[in-house]
Amino acid sequence: MNYSIIHKTTYTYFEPVSLCHNVLRLAPRDTTRQVCKSATVKIHPEPDTLREYEDFFGNKVIYFSIEREHGQLTVDVHSEIEKIATVIYQQEEEEAGEISQYTFETPMTACSEEIKAYARVSFRPGRNVLEAATDLMHRIYTDFTFTPGFTMVSTPLSVVMRERKGVCQDFAHLAIACVRSAGLPARYVSGYIETIPPPGVEKLVGVDASHAWFSINIPRMGWVDLDPTNNVPAGDQHITIGWGRDYSDIAPMKGIVLSSGSHGLSVSVDVRRSG
Amino acid sequence: MIPELLGENGRLHPHWETFFQSYSQLGDEEIALRNEDMMRLLTENGVTYNIYGDPSGLNRPWNLDIIPFLISKHEWPAIESGLLQRAELLNLILKDIYGERRLIRNGILPAELIYNHAGFLRQCAGIHLPGKHHLIMYSADLARSRDGRIWVVNDRTQAPSGSGYALENRTAMTRVLPELFNGLEVRHLSPYFNALRNGLHEIAPHQRLNPRIVILTPGSSNETYFEHSYLSSYLGFTLVQGNDLVVKDSHVWLKTMGGLERVDVILRRVDDIYCDPLELKEDSQLGIPGLLQAVRSGHVSIANPIGSSVLENPGLMPFLQSIARWFLSEDLRIPTIASWWCGQPKELDYVLAHLPTLVIKKINRNPTGTSSVDGASLSHRELSEWKQRIRSNPSLYVGQEKVDISSTPSLIDGKIESRKVLFRSFLVSNKEGYVAMTGGLCRTSSKEGNFIISNQSGGISKDAWILSPEPGRVVNVLKETTERPVAGDNDMLPSHAAENLFWTGRYTERVLGNARFLRTVMQFVVEGRTERSLLTALTKYSYTYPGFAGEGSEDRFAHPWVELKEVLLNEKRTGSLKYNFLQFNRAIHEVREHWSTDTWRVLRVMEEEFRQNIPLTHQGHIRMLHTLDNLITFVVAFIGLTRESISREQEWILLDLGRKIEQSLLLITMLRVTLTGRYSDQVEYNLQQSVLMSHESLVNYRYKYRMPINNELVLDLMLFDPNNPRSLTYQVDRLKTYLHLLPRVHAGHVQTEYERLILEADTLLQQTDRRELAQADENLYEYRKLDDLLSRMYTLLSAIPDVISKTYFKHELTSIIDK
Repeated sequence: MNYSIIHKTTYTYFEPVSLCHNVLRLAPRDTTRQVCKSATVKIHPEPDTLREYEDFFGNKVIYFSIEREHGQLTVDVHSEIEKIATVIYQQEEEEAGEISQYTFETPMTACSEEIKAYARVSFRPGRNVLEAATDLMHRIYTDFTFTPGFTMVSTPLSVVMRERKGVCQDFAHLAIACVRSAGLPARYVSGYIETIPPPGVEKLVGVDASHAWFSINIPRMGWVDLDPTNNVPAGDQHITIGWGRDYSDIAPMKGIVLSSGSHGLSVSVDVRRSG
Repeated sequence: MIPELLGENGRLHPHWETFFQSYSQLGDEEIALRNEDMMRLLTENGVTYNIYGDPSGLNRPWNLDIIPFLISKHEWPAIESGLLQRAELLNLILKDIYGERRLIRNGILPAELIYNHAGFLRQCAGIHLPGKHHLIMYSADLARSRDGRIWVVNDRTQAPSGSGYALENRTAMTRVLPELFNGLEVRHLSPYFNALRNGLHEIAPHQRLNPRIVILTPGSSNETYFEHSYLSSYLGFTLVQGNDLVVKDSHVWLKTMGGLERVDVILRRVDDIYCDPLELKEDSQLGIPGLLQAVRSGHVSIANPIGSSVLENPGLMPFLQSIARWFLSEDLRIPTIASWWCGQPKELDYVLAHLPTLVIKKINRNPTGTSSVDGASLSHRELSEWKQRIRSNPSLYVGQEKVDISSTPSLIDGKIESRKVLFRSFLVSNKEGYVAMTGGLCRTSSKEGNFIISNQSGGISKDAWILSPEPGRVVNVLKETTERPVAGDNDMLPSHAAENLFWTGRYTERVLGNARFLRTVMQFVVEGRTERSLLTALTKYSYTYPGFAGEGSEDRFAHPWVELKEVLLNEKRTGSLKYNFLQFNRAIHEVREHWSTDTWRVLRVMEEEFRQNIPLTHQGHIRMLHTLDNLITFVVAFIGLTRESISREQEWILLDLGRKIEQSLLLITMLRVTLTGRYSDQVEYNLQQSVLMSHESLVNYRYKYRMPINNELVLDLMLFDPNNPRSLTYQVDRLKTYLHLLPRVHAGHVQTEYERLILEADTLLQQTDRRELAQADENLYEYRKLDDLLSRMYTLLSAIPDVISKTYFKHELTSIIDK
């Protein structure tokens, strides 16, 4: 199956900006489950410098700066993805040392006593790891309410745990904290999911959104992607951009502007089958 | 007798014998006097070390023990070669960690030890750096055990501090106690600093010939800020803070009065995660957005490279021997202290079982405090808490054997006592290899027997003398080269320095203006001429509301001294003299390299004036007046000294521009709060007299007009007299000249906004009908025309600093977008 994804980001500044530096992680990488056939990035105004490279985790990164006064910044990314349906889980060539870094707590996946206790219900001693992780995904899906706007990037995980509310990022972080509290490696995956409108309703442009889920490393199986927001293993409808230890390693767009004013932001994502 | 001093035969080591011969020849009394000289010299040179979290910690004076730490010519070659080897080794480890990671892939280093260390910055992985070495500077803390062996206690690889203190120590020693060097061949420090200068030139991108090298400091509240500014002037590198630099076109630029200038090499004193808010710590105010991208592009070199703190990890110690075998096929020449990294099960068990006999270290260094704990100092309960902590996160801890550190003689309160000592050495990369300082910085424990030595927890420094003939040149110990190259005259002043010089000028006048007016008011009160309108004017002038102008003023009128003392000494009252003095002091410290030793002395006596405890008695009132007299003298002395000690035209212009702006605004305010209201003739007379007194213009008035004080003439003298250096016309004139001398940022003959403002102010002042100003508007009980003029002048003149700031200082707010 093939997908065509259009991801548009627009910043509108209330005071003109004289200099901005940005780092994008929006071009999907190749994985065992997908091939990124093309990723075209259009930036307006035209950047003064632009550089593409791979980060430590192998994600594709684009850095650019705009060094003239501007009032608006738009970044359009158009990606063509071919999903590979054959193997479900394929052991990747990865050394134990590299995997072990995903077992450590990070600021965004800080583990409270409450989270540890929550994890213990799924990760019982002796239980099959995949079964435990699937159970964890199911419990998060059931116990937590998807509530856009309740959290921000900076909201601590303990608040999510207490209030039982959040969005896909929070659920992914929570699951990661739980897996790591059991001493197992888990990573954060950033990407997209195809949404399918109810029968008879035409899909609107831009209704999709960035998505996030978690991946757990299971001995002899490798990385298994699970989506607690939708209670499914990440499959044919999930498109991966990249991964890291938590959101901060794979934030889609980070930028610093020189300006005294505030800004407005609009994002639209469109995921469509292309054959 | 201290065992360290004795040789194998039980007699004093010959070098100690020579040293103590010179020492006893001076005699105890002379030594005590020299010791005082030493303290005075260090204080006057402004040598300080700031302590975090201690309110009195800012600018703590530097302590130097006059008995040095001696390293004999038999010991030094082995130490030096061991240090050189270790620097090479750590450099290879650094390259490998951010490059191929063969040490991890081949199982020589455990992945967790690196990946779990806060200093491992994934953003820096794969960045290709030019040059032979990645590790440009390296410092090791060494200890000598009682059996005479040398051990490495700490490795410092991020932004090693102390070389400047070492140089200052040596300079002070040669100046104050030259006799002690007699008969000892003490190696010089200057070869190290030459190597440092060369080494930094060598790493300039694209082998540029005259690279611009800057020292990046977190600012004046940093613990070792003294050293940053000292090295900056000694080495001739511009001292900058993060917001002085900007990344454009993947290059780093220095903001200066004349525009942007390219920076080639950054000597970094900012911790690495603070260096770039775009990719590292997002809320850092100390860094430069986009710096890592400039590094990736190869357009700037940083010493040490961002990410090098990954080597400041005591957990590496147990692996160094096998890494040395693997990389160099050599054994470590200086052994590391036996250490056990708890990330391995056997080692964890050992550490838990032997905790009371070990030193516990965290693999991550705590930058604001000590990261080591002596197991022996822990109570039973604390021990079990530590065990719990280690068990829940074993890979974060290391247990280290306690070395029985040998003692060395120290002069403590006039007596020679023994203290444990750590010796910090400094190395820098050069084309041929590393160069080690033939000397170093020693620190001794604050109390006898203290095991953990750190500057943050108090401690005394020592000079380190390496005793061996200087290779290839004649030794003259009295002439340690300390000539300081001066920055070229063509260099434009960095914006940050410009801004603080400007503010130093403004606060100088603010302190002076307020002190003079406060003195005038106090004189009136002491003489029994307590004038309500004058007290109210003081509150308005100094902006110390409510005071004599707002709520509760009746009580204060009845007991004015309570309030007057507050306005003088209460630093928590915005607008008080002490408050303004502290602002003044802060601005001065931000540009501390611009002041001469004499200037510092004046500042120090000013500080002392403010430290007095003055009672509210008649005696106290007189003392307050006396204090004000002194302060006024000192500020005037400061102004005179700056004229002498500031060498560059541009610096002087900014400082004086700040003064003239402040003088104009203060004068306008003064006239508005005293002379625009209509009172009885007697009251008006008193107010007019106070204006003249506060501007030291009473004599001038009498000489010029030979008439009793009257409104029109006071205004003539204070507003319009072009020859009176206190008049507004005079200030506006100077401002016009200074503003014209500022560098042109825009090409061509476009009139700048500040020029328009000053011209308008000038015209307004010249076209005013002077007679009308002295005519009161009888219905409104005020001098309306005067007030209008003053208010319009204020609006025009007070807009100038904003324009200057936007044009030359450019401190726009940086906001972070995170989708």
